[in-house]
Amino acid sequence: MRRKLGIYVPLALYGVFLMLPFLWMALTTFKSDHELAQGLHPFWISEFTFSQITNLLTQTAYLQWFANTLFVSVASTILSVFVSYITAYAIIRLRFPGSEVVSTGIFLAYIVPPAILFIPLASVVIQLHWFDKLWALVPIYATFLVPFCTWLLIGFLKNIPRELEEAARVDGASNIAILWRIIFPIAVPGLISAAIFSFTLSWNEYLYALVFMSSSINKTVSVGMTSELIRGDQFQWGQLMAGALIGVLPAVLVYFFFVEYYVAGLAGSVKE
Amino acid sequence: MSHPDRRRFLHMSAAGIGAATVAGGFPALASAADSPFKPEKGASLQLLRWTAFVKSDQTVWDENTKKFTAATGVPVTIQSLTWNDVTPKAALAAQVGSGPDIVMGWNDDPFVYPDKLVEMSDLVEYMGKAHGGWYDNARSYCYDQDVKRWVSFPIGCTGNAVNYRKSWAKDAGFTEFPKDLDGMLKLARGLKKNGHPTGFALGHAVGDANSWTHWILWAFGGKQANPDNSIAINSGETANALEYAKQLYETMIDGVAGWDDSSNNKAFAAGLIGMTMNGISIWYAQKNAADTSLFPDFANATPPMGPVKQHTVSNNFTSAFVFKYSKYPNAAKEYLRFMLDAPQADRWVTEMLGYVTPALKKYSELPIWTSNPNITPYRDALAYAKYDGYNGKPGKAAAQALDEFVVVDMFADVCVNKMTPKDAMRKAEAKLAAIYKRA
Amino acid sequence: MTRSPLLSRLDSPRVLGYLLITPAAIILLGLLAYPLLLGIWLSLTSATIGKPGDFVGLQNYATIFADPIYRGAAWYSVFYTVCAEAGKLVLGLALALLLNQRFRGYRVSRALMLLPWVAPTVLSALAWLWLLDPQFSAVSWLLVRLHLIRSNIDFLGHPWNARFALIVVNVWRGLPYFAIGYLAGLQSIPKDLYEAAAIDGASGWQAFRRITWPLLLPITTILLAFSSIFTLTDFQLIWTITHGGPTDATQVFTTLAYQRAISGGQLGEGAAIAVSPIVIMAVLAFFVVRSVREK
Repeated sequence: MRRKLGIYVPLALYGVFLMLPFLWMALTTFKSDHELAQGLHPFWISEFTFSQITNLLTQTAYLQWFANTLFVSVASTILSVFVSYITAYAIIRLRFPGSEVVSTGIFLAYIVPPAILFIPLASVVIQLHWFDKLWALVPIYATFLVPFCTWLLIGFLKNIPRELEEAARVDGASNIAILWRIIFPIAVPGLISAAIFSFTLSWNEYLYALVFMSSSINKTVSVGMTSELIRGDQFQWGQLMAGALIGVLPAVLVYFFFVEYYVAGLAGSVKE
Repeated sequence: MSHPDRRRFLHMSAAGIGAATVAGGFPALASAADSPFKPEKGASLQLLRWTAFVKSDQTVWDENTKKFTAATGVPVTIQSLTWNDVTPKAALAAQVGSGPDIVMGWNDDPFVYPDKLVEMSDLVEYMGKAHGGWYDNARSYCYDQDVKRWVSFPIGCTGNAVNYRKSWAKDAGFTEFPKDLDGMLKLARGLKKNGHPTGFALGHAVGDANSWTHWILWAFGGKQANPDNSIAINSGETANALEYAKQLYETMIDGVAGWDDSSNNKAFAAGLIGMTMNGISIWYAQKNAADTSLFPDFANATPPMGPVKQHTVSNNFTSAFVFKYSKYPNAAKEYLRFMLDAPQADRWVTEMLGYVTPALKKYSELPIWTSNPNITPYRDALAYAKYDGYNGKPGKAAAQALDEFVVVDMFADVCVNKMTPKDAMRKAEAKLAAIYKRA
Repeated sequence: MTRSPLLSRLDSPRVLGYLLITPAAIILLGLLAYPLLLGIWLSLTSATIGKPGDFVGLQNYATIFADPIYRGAAWYSVFYTVCAEAGKLVLGLALALLLNQRFRGYRVSRALMLLPWVAPTVLSALAWLWLLDPQFSAVSWLLVRLHLIRSNIDFLGHPWNARFALIVVNVWRGLPYFAIGYLAGLQSIPKDLYEAAAIDGASGWQAFRRITWPLLLPITTILLAFSSIFTLTDFQLIWTITHGGPTDATQVFTTLAYQRAISGGQLGEGAAIAVSPIVIMAVLAFFVVRSVREK
């Protein structure tokens, strides 16, 4: 009994702290504009309505933004995980000269804040004719995804015993074959972790999507919602929160199914 | 404006400019054919504007744009961003030399990169002559004194007025809104006593905090700089303004120092405050609220005058500038001419209830302004306005001072942080000195 | 299995190694290193928006170090980071310890607790804006109803309130990242170590101090280093909730740099402000690299 209290009471406290904003988001989503304007009883809905959701889906290009964000997140995830895997493999398993320098360089990539980098980066994007091309966000996002994923996979790959490779080489397998046929399947938990991390960060990104895309059809969820639902000093709170809630769903689904993998992946990468 | 005047002017300008080939031929509209601005062949335009604060602004603007395309064959794509995001997007375009053709920006934006912008003198003069001339602030915000030319085309401002609850004001002893600041302070105190505090933003609220602090500053004769850009903030007048603000702060609701631009709207709509300052969107929102029974109680008044006995309101000014990298500057000018010409702009201003007060004086004669006494205060927004950075030179330094909330923070330091006016002024003076030195 | 000599060459560790890192190299060199160098160059010039300006050496840095607002922003950036990281570490670890046990609904709990980290920052920051509203806060409403406070809390209207409010929101957002990381770390600790300790009569706290904590140090270093870098360069959360106010109390490196570079068009100075924390972050990155190398 004491053990149960020791678990459920702190759990409830954490639950309240972490979930409170989402509870409030959900309540706001189902309140009418009129009720929101009055600002009374925050935890109770007196005029339940689906209008915020239906207005969001029909009066704004929300579904388009959702599709855009999904596309960019999935694509940058695939690109980043792939690039990180082969990079980590090269650094850890192949031990070529200069691999230490490369790995250090990759970590240093984090030091740069997008809040200022976007200006010089914009010149590069323009020169490459990537401006307002939705797919261009994919390699751009890779700049902040690849470093962490590479670190994650380096840690993971380090712990895979070398005997596997030795055995395969004795059988005459090339390094490339080892990379794909032997090591890759074992690295799956680490890869899934990296994928989940990448998907989350891509989904949440705001500044680059705001700056490098200009047409309405290329907007992502965060950009579309803030640009069209914040009309000067009129915030369309109901629709904003409805969009936020719906926007959280894909990541939640992904996490619900893969959280065990994510944990296992991280666990594998920090094992001594 | 009367047709004989316009025809005479067009006759003169057409003769001066000479015959020009008309791309694709202009069907129907006489004004387009008479215009001296001929779109280039195969032109298309991209406009970056701020997301309209009131829905009807966007609806009518879009419809007028379609009319333009029908008349000239020039397609226009409009990109809307929330108003605070337009400035960085425009800055980026200036920096990388690529982006939208036309930007509807704010305040000193065009002075930050005047060399990148197409000269607009011809359009400005043309429209000024045709529509009764420009308000002074049009020149303040669009004529660059350093490069000595019009770098932007003035559109108008989002006017500010004092918004209050009529019945509560009556309870506090005022059947009419006071005409001077002393009266307003009395009213504010009365409101607070009856449980209806006032609310004016003191946080980093880009629109609302700047509007009232500058109004009060100027009302007492304070100013940021002199015409030669020397710093003038540290003065007895400014100190008086700060003292007044301190007393007004006593009548305010808690938390104004953390308010953003939407906070006063929320509080006013929920009946938590009895007086604030805002654009007409705050009143417009009540009109369309589900419960319209309270609507008649919401009223707007012209901001009262201070000891200088002059109107000294502060507004956000919006103008349209065209980047030199645009391939179709003439099409851009024609588009702007068209949109701000009477047939289009009359409807635009009217249907958005005067949310944007046009910079062209002729539009102050529209019936919408007098259709409801609550709309009238907004008609004079530009007539009564000063420009930010007054009385110095508009430009980069003023832009930076505004964006760094130097004036707002000075007021907040006195009201919230309990600094003495002397210390607050000295701090602001140092900040301004650094800013103006850099620019 | 025979191979052509070319494939054999390609397959050698050296050649293959360089080939494999090429994609990452292209992306990071082209889209990150190059713009970064451009940014550093900007900080050494008097560049403004649209004008390249002249080379001025370290003058921008001299200017900002003499600016009280910059010093305030530098101070708050560090304060914000230290407090937030401490909060996230302690609360994240505690949550991980909690979730490492088997109880009814532990799977759902693990998934749900990730939500703050998963939600787009811009949107959850807006939700917090309302939750911290001086008039409309649901938090204040609750606390007043529970008779814990008498009137609404002015979360964002006073400098110190605002500073701590932002730290709380940052902890809220980043806690799950630490919790999940520690959960992974905890699972990689061999169970027999605890059994041996139990046999020796060690208490729960002693087991934690002697076994758990030391074995968690590697992951602590990694989590902390990466998270600190993110927090020190936080932008969206602060910009959305306080915009650097009230009276510049919550300015950090990135908000000030953004304000100076974009609004005033002072690119050189803005770049200098943005580049200045790099020294701090380089130190942090150094620790990360060292800990990875040691493993």
